[in-house]
Amino acid sequence: MAAGIVAENLTKYYRVKVREPGLRGALRAVVRPHYREVRAVEGVSFRIEPGEVVGFLGPNGAGKTTTLKMLTGLLYPTSGRAEVAGFDPWTGGARFRSRFALVLGSKQQLIWDLPPEETFLLNRAIYGITEADYRRTLDELVELLRLENVLGKPVRQLSQGERMKCELAAALLHRPELLFLDEPTLGLDLAAQETIRGFVRDYNQRHGATVLLTSHYMADVTALAPRVLIINRGRLLYDGALAALAERIAPVKRIELVVGDGVTAEGLRRFGELRAFDPPRATLEVPRRQVAGVSARLLAELPIVDLSIHDPPIEEVIQRAFAGEAGALLAGGVEP
Amino acid sequence: MSLRDWARRYAALMRAGWLVDLQYRAAIVLWLILGVAQPLLMLAIWWGVAGTDEVQGYDRAAFARYFFALMFVDQLTLAWDVWYIDRWIREGEINFRLARPLNPIHEAIADNLAYKGKTGLAMAVVWLAVAAVWPAVRLPFEPGRWALAALAIALAAAIRFLTSYVTGLLAFWTTRATALYELHWGISLFLSGRIAPLSLLPPGVSAVAAVLWFPYMLAFPVEVLTGTVATTEELVRGFAWQLAWLALWSLAYRLVWRQGLKRYGAVGG
Repeated sequence: MAAGIVAENLTKYYRVKVREPGLRGALRAVVRPHYREVRAVEGVSFRIEPGEVVGFLGPNGAGKTTTLKMLTGLLYPTSGRAEVAGFDPWTGGARFRSRFALVLGSKQQLIWDLPPEETFLLNRAIYGITEADYRRTLDELVELLRLENVLGKPVRQLSQGERMKCELAAALLHRPELLFLDEPTLGLDLAAQETIRGFVRDYNQRHGATVLLTSHYMADVTALAPRVLIINRGRLLYDGALAALAERIAPVKRIELVVGDGVTAEGLRRFGELRAFDPPRATLEVPRRQVAGVSARLLAELPIVDLSIHDPPIEEVIQRAFAGEAGALLAGGVEP
Repeated sequence: MSLRDWARRYAALMRAGWLVDLQYRAAIVLWLILGVAQPLLMLAIWWGVAGTDEVQGYDRAAFARYFFALMFVDQLTLAWDVWYIDRWIREGEINFRLARPLNPIHEAIADNLAYKGKTGLAMAVVWLAVAAVWPAVRLPFEPGRWALAALAIALAAAIRFLTSYVTGLLAFWTTRATALYELHWGISLFLSGRIAPLSLLPPGVSAVAAVLWFPYMLAFPVEVLTGTVATTEELVRGFAWQLAWLALWSLAYRLVWRQGLKRYGAVGG
């Protein structure tokens, strides 16, 4: 049984004290404190169906973690409402908290001085997991995350990747239907990132769990989440398929070329926007609709050794969205 | 959750606490030595002051019994929680605890039980060893009194734990929670009977102390144990004050926890 998420107009404002530097500033802050309102999240609405994997993208400070903390009941919204697994996150109590797992990449729950298995045993008791379920789940997690050799080592001796894997295992022992993963691959090497991604995908498929994942690594999202929510400065800019996003923000294709002798930058600019030229390699960007015609002309008119057509890298697409280039996104860009 | 589930939870929390303590054996021995050193120092001073005479009814042997009992009760009522809670809140370690289906106070209580079980035993052994060669610190064999002392110690530990835990929760509002507790500690040095038995304080001071929670965290159980508090009236009054302060601090905990969560929910970590 999986559970969904509904967020309606979630809004979170903070009031932060502004303090000027120096002694005088410190004194003034005591006598007459100045406050500034920070709009961390503004009117964010979305619905995630049970079993969906959704990527939550945004630069630092965009409001991703604040939204996650609201959905798990740690923060109260200034306005708006949410329903998670059928519960109001702020009144759901222990029953609600048994239904999800929250993994914060920057903060760990593993007991630092003890082997990870001790945290697992503790969670078994806290969540009231039966011995049989515990064994079965742990065996599965150990196998999927390849933890055989780390279970007995004190956490402080584990590598960052091993720690994150154990962190996931600790969070999933009670078989939550909902996973909130906040930057789960933060600071990990590529191999460890890949293991974590593979595992999350597998867990979702095996148990039909709903996953909401924040990351600023695009690879996490492209590998896992067919659907993304893009948030910047507290506002939801986009909700929809990753592939459609590229078309919308960057309706262009890239033609990667290996050119023969005598081809100049000038000569290439006639065909489209020249993004890079490092002979014999060159990259041209052309409107999607013209890509076939331009390719044919290139082959006919220039000494081309090799030609291939790609979408622009998704990182760039997202960067453009963050940079606010995609005004269209703001104007009704959020898909219903 | 059934009672058995709760027993399992506490067993698991205590086990974790024990195992972590094992990693810090040296530090714990150091704290124990510190815990012993202070009462011994006070004993040495009062030993000198008393000479062959008495100070307000306390002769040397009475001082020895008082400070040995104090050493023992102090270890069993020790409260360090303010440091932990303050860190949990300031550094965001409270987040995963709030996301679990267990109020974090249980982790703190279990940790206390785990630690005190161990150090209380160590202190008892030390006391027995010293009593074997030094008759002054021997207590008369009175199981009834010991049972009452055990109850008084348990209540004292609960009050002291709550003062520390509740002060720690103030970290939801201020970065000075631990400093506040230092202040509390400074006052309790005098008013809880740590420096001298309360009857030796100026009458005004001991009268003020008697209606505050300080003596009920330390001096009262110490005096029940040594037999200084002996009449039924004194016992009833002492236990009544303990229960009253426990109730008040529990109330304070509820209030501060609820408001603190609201505040945390409003402004974040």
